[in-house]
Amino acid sequence: MLAYIVRRLIAIPFLLLGVASVSFVLSQMTKGDPLAALVPERMMSNPEIVNAVKAQWGLDQPLPVRYVTYIGNLLQGDLGTSFTTRRPVSTDIAERLPATLELVIAAMIIGTALGLTLGLLSARFRGSATDGISRIFALIGSSLPIFWSGLILLYIFSVRFSIVPGTGRLPPRVTPPPDVTGFYTIDALLAGDLSLFGQALAHLALPAFVLGWAVTGIITRIVRSSLIEGLSQDYARTARAKGAPERTVLIGHALPNAMIPLLTILGFTFAYLITGAVLTEAIFAWPGIGSYAVRAAASLDYPAIGGVTIVGSVAFLLANLLTDIAYAWANPRIKVH
Amino acid sequence: MTYHPRKGLAALLLAGSALIAPPALAQDSDTLVIARSMDVNSLDPSRAFCDTCQFYLTAVYETLVTLAPDNQSLVPNLAESWEVNDDFTEFTFMLKDATFADGSPVEASDVVWTFNRLKNVKGSPSFLMDGLTGAEAVDAKTVKFTVDAPNSEFLNKVSAPYTGIINAEVAEANGAVSDETAAEADKAEPWFLANSAGSGPFQLASYSPEAELRLARNDSYYGEAPAFSEVVVTQIQDAVSQAQALETGQVDIAMQIDPDTAQSIRSGDVTTEVIPSYNFVYIGFIPGAKGMDGKLTAEVRDALASAIDYDGMLDFTVGGNGEKQAAPIPNGFPGTAGLTPRSQDVEKAKKVLADAGLSDLKLVAGYPNDNVYGVDFNIMMQKVQQDFAAIGVELELKPLTWAVWRDELGAGEWPVTAIYYAPDYYGSGQYVAYFGMIEGFPWVGRASVGKPELVVNPAEADLYAKALASSGDDADAAYQELGEAMMEDAIIIPLVAPNLVLAYRNDIAGVRYSACCNLPLAEITRN
Repeated sequence: MLAYIVRRLIAIPFLLLGVASVSFVLSQMTKGDPLAALVPERMMSNPEIVNAVKAQWGLDQPLPVRYVTYIGNLLQGDLGTSFTTRRPVSTDIAERLPATLELVIAAMIIGTALGLTLGLLSARFRGSATDGISRIFALIGSSLPIFWSGLILLYIFSVRFSIVPGTGRLPPRVTPPPDVTGFYTIDALLAGDLSLFGQALAHLALPAFVLGWAVTGIITRIVRSSLIEGLSQDYARTARAKGAPERTVLIGHALPNAMIPLLTILGFTFAYLITGAVLTEAIFAWPGIGSYAVRAAASLDYPAIGGVTIVGSVAFLLANLLTDIAYAWANPRIKVH
Repeated sequence: MTYHPRKGLAALLLAGSALIAPPALAQDSDTLVIARSMDVNSLDPSRAFCDTCQFYLTAVYETLVTLAPDNQSLVPNLAESWEVNDDFTEFTFMLKDATFADGSPVEASDVVWTFNRLKNVKGSPSFLMDGLTGAEAVDAKTVKFTVDAPNSEFLNKVSAPYTGIINAEVAEANGAVSDETAAEADKAEPWFLANSAGSGPFQLASYSPEAELRLARNDSYYGEAPAFSEVVVTQIQDAVSQAQALETGQVDIAMQIDPDTAQSIRSGDVTTEVIPSYNFVYIGFIPGAKGMDGKLTAEVRDALASAIDYDGMLDFTVGGNGEKQAAPIPNGFPGTAGLTPRSQDVEKAKKVLADAGLSDLKLVAGYPNDNVYGVDFNIMMQKVQQDFAAIGVELELKPLTWAVWRDELGAGEWPVTAIYYAPDYYGSGQYVAYFGMIEGFPWVGRASVGKPELVVNPAEADLYAKALASSGDDADAAYQELGEAMMEDAIIIPLVAPNLVLAYRNDIAGVRYSACCNLPLAEITRN
């Protein structure tokens, strides 16, 4: 097992190098003015400024030279400087990734808890009103565009009834906790500030619910169908024949077998949300990696595009690895080699 | 492990109470919170160029002169007085006793250093120093500038926030360079993203791109201390979210609320004022575009401009909350008082096109897919499309990302585009320098795509020189002639000058719009 994990981890840097090369070539091939983020529109016809900027950012060099420089810097851990923020990409990512991780982890907890509960209820009371309501709730979450559900829920719970605060990670008047993990909820607890923890949690609640609700649908569906399939299997019939109550059959026998497809979905959903929480981040003014990625792509910020691609790739590779390990844990018949 | 239902319940209640905790209230807060979709490209005065930069730099760095609340007259700032020679080529400023945030005095050498750096670093606002041939510290408190040709707008230019005076010693210690090598040798931009070195009422506390810009009061400010100890500009992307944050009291001021959204605000705790702005959106014709082959003559361009229903455009784009504008110089700027905005004349347009044999003209419009100053470019261009259709011209719309738009604009891919302009300072010369059909000027390059003879208007160069060599009524008259000439060029067709909404909580006072500086933060107080 350990050898397998080490082998997979060793492969990651090579895969990342490939990803970085493809990302570099694709972003250079993309149509658009590479100076879009560096020279304002009004100055783009000023050759003096354009040439100075090209020289400053190395854009006057031929493509192969730029590629070698980029990969060379990458091997030394230097992701370059963002055209838009004018700061090292690694600084930007280090600042924004914890915000996204905090949001995505909270959303995954909410989405999984809801999805699992609704899936169990649906399977247990298949065909009943409970099943119908659970499935409709899950379906609405998956079908509603986040920009709509986010805005409406924000209006209802924040503007109309003031149940949760507005956008952002903390009220703007509040100073964030000292940076330890970058998760404001955890850092507030580490700082022993319960009021700050409450505020951070309150700010996290709605965006995490919106994002979590969106993934509830698929989790409910997978859990429900796997459980229903499981409940009709021989082992379920045997358990029932031995006098096990239906709850035991469901939780003790069918659920563990439903874990494999669920883990696959969870792994990929998590990795997807790392770079895919864009709309939620935009609506809730959540300064995460998703909004950074979109802005980088729109303005052809090559170094930032490369940085985000690498982070996204790492997320996918690690999620994949963790899913495989979790398979073995969930089902001892699966061995990793 | 034993499960204790009561403990679980208590934990749930605790979490619940955290969720319904009321947001931090604004009353009595010493912090001013502003909602804005930030467009910061730099916080280095010599490299920054954006609307957010305008009010940040105004709060942190001080210019020699600044624009009075009437948005027209210049008043002393770091310079207590100034002298200009008769032909507008020499400008001498006498500095008052001011200090930088670190306590060191603001001296003529800092002013010279700042202006030289602005010129030599070849950053986005470096054009403000075009024509500067000499910068000399006459004594510790007197500085003299010389320009290569008469320029009566030089004083207005030095009211632009990008000319804010930097503490040379501090900046140099952090990698800044002001001499001719600055474009390559100056490495101070990252330092300016985390620090400031000005003499203004505020200092930079912290900056997190597209998240938050935090200013702290400069406690050693030599002038009147600002009311707030802290100003936080928080990133909120769209107008609706900004309005929501304003209604809940999460922010004190929302900077980018359009008139439509302003009408939807129901809270009695919010004040909204709709005022005219100096911003405008326009379409531009590109006669040198591919496939045009001399079709877009001045007469044809004028006919196309006559096809547009300008009153309908105002309703369509900003719900009537804006003004029509004649020439590419904003209403209220020198020389615009006597200009009459275009009006729709469909019959004339049809006749001109028929005479030119262009009754079935097909055009393509490439423009940024954006919403600027409350104007959705897609909606605006759909209106242009409708109006052109009424005279038999088929207009294909091509909304593009900024990067692609810029690429295709440079290549002359399409003959029509749309874009916007916000002033850097009060003065009409900046518009001639940008939109004038004078050889070598930016829009000649864009409109002609390498064939300047298609668009250059020789009379404008003389008129521009005349305007810059005069002031007062003479300059106004010259700018009016330039405005008329640019209308005849029919390259730039202003469509709407959108109104601006000042939206703030009722306990906030002193919010105003400045043509140079956007929102002067130091003037804002809480009642």
